Amino acid sequence: MPKYGMVIDLDKCTLCEACVTACKLENNVQIVSKEDAAIGRTMFWMTMLTLEHEGQYPDIKLKRIPRLCFQCDKPSCIKTCPVRATYKREDGIIAQIYPNCIGCRYCMANCPYTVKVFNWDRDKQPQQVEKCYNEDVSVRPKGIVEKCVFCIHRLQKAEERAKAEYRELRDGDYVPACMEVCPAKAIYFGDLDDPHSKVFEAIKDYRRFTLQEDLGTIPKVYYLNAKD
Amino acid sequence: MKKIVVFILFLIGVVAGVIFVQAMINQSAMVQPIKFNHQLHHKKMGIDCIFCHKYVETESRASIPNIDVCGICHLVLIGNSSEEKKVHEYVKNQKRIPWLSIYHVSDYASFSHRRHVAIGKLSCNLCHGDMGTLTSPPEKQFLKIKMENCINCHEKRHVSTDCNQCHR
Repeated sequence: MPKYGMVIDLDKCTLCEACVTACKLENNVQIVSKEDAAIGRTMFWMTMLTLEHEGQYPDIKLKRIPRLCFQCDKPSCIKTCPVRATYKREDGIIAQIYPNCIGCRYCMANCPYTVKVFNWDRDKQPQQVEKCYNEDVSVRPKGIVEKCVFCIHRLQKAEERAKAEYRELRDGDYVPACMEVCPAKAIYFGDLDDPHSKVFEAIKDYRRFTLQEDLGTIPKVYYLNAKD
Repeated sequence: MKKIVVFILFLIGVVAGVIFVQAMINQSAMVQPIKFNHQLHHKKMGIDCIFCHKYVETESRASIPNIDVCGICHLVLIGNSSEEKKVHEYVKNQKRIPWLSIYHVSDYASFSHRRHVAIGKLSCNLCHGDMGTLTSPPEKQFLKIKMENCINCHEKRHVSTDCNQCHR
């Protein structure tokens, strides 16, 4: 069974936020109203996290990294779910089953990375957005928790394609939307256990780090530190 | 005496309630604008399902044919049935036929015809019944769109029953 993981090379990342936009469109993530956004209810499955900043304004230097669900190997969010709306799949992806979710938000409280978002309200979406909804992903109603699931619908499609061509799933068949659009090719994705995958090579880099390693959640999204 | 009357009234109320709930659960019969004859088209004329439901092997929705498909043959009158005249009228006036959709999959579940027909190699009859023998359009779902029906079939065929396969 594969173990899917991601590596983000911060040296290559130009902070263009193409991944953030692609994620939002691919997964039909709601665009919230101005009022909701003002009280911190914006919805992003992938967003830019500011780690630290140096210098004084206007010569400020930010260290920002793209942040998504880390699909931890030992996730703390699934332990608290009373209805098994979130669980760890065999391939290591932490799934989120929206019809099961009762909106108690225990998983949100238990996530040390605060990657989960709650649907506070269902706002009217711009017409252009409604037109280009992705059919493979449901449009979530209000009152449930959602998060990045490594574009799991793409895995299903890739598996089907491989089956139709009578072959096994190859490295590069299944890629999430954020990796596909990255213009700097800073994101690697694949099977962490497969020695022939690109992600396996990338993970061996000495610059590797994960966020809050001391927690023991073992995130499967790794960062490669930028060289100074 | 008074107690008996109250009891009978209560009984009537319960029975009425049960009938009402049953009626709500059972889908009411749907009447299509044209009495389409599947038997004539499929069995007698030998037209394949995919000729009319043309996206069944490529898209998630099989599609219900409309004037663009019907118009291939019915641009001119072939027979003299009253139903065919209705189709001809729609085609001639370039008006879409307001077919009623009987099978609905909820928003929170994803279903793909391509996945089941082209990749899974399942027969249409399994869910839709033997449509080729029907002389009038179906009024109800043959196999109720319910999760237990999906799960039963998936378990029987040893296909994944992971929640994430359909709900995401």
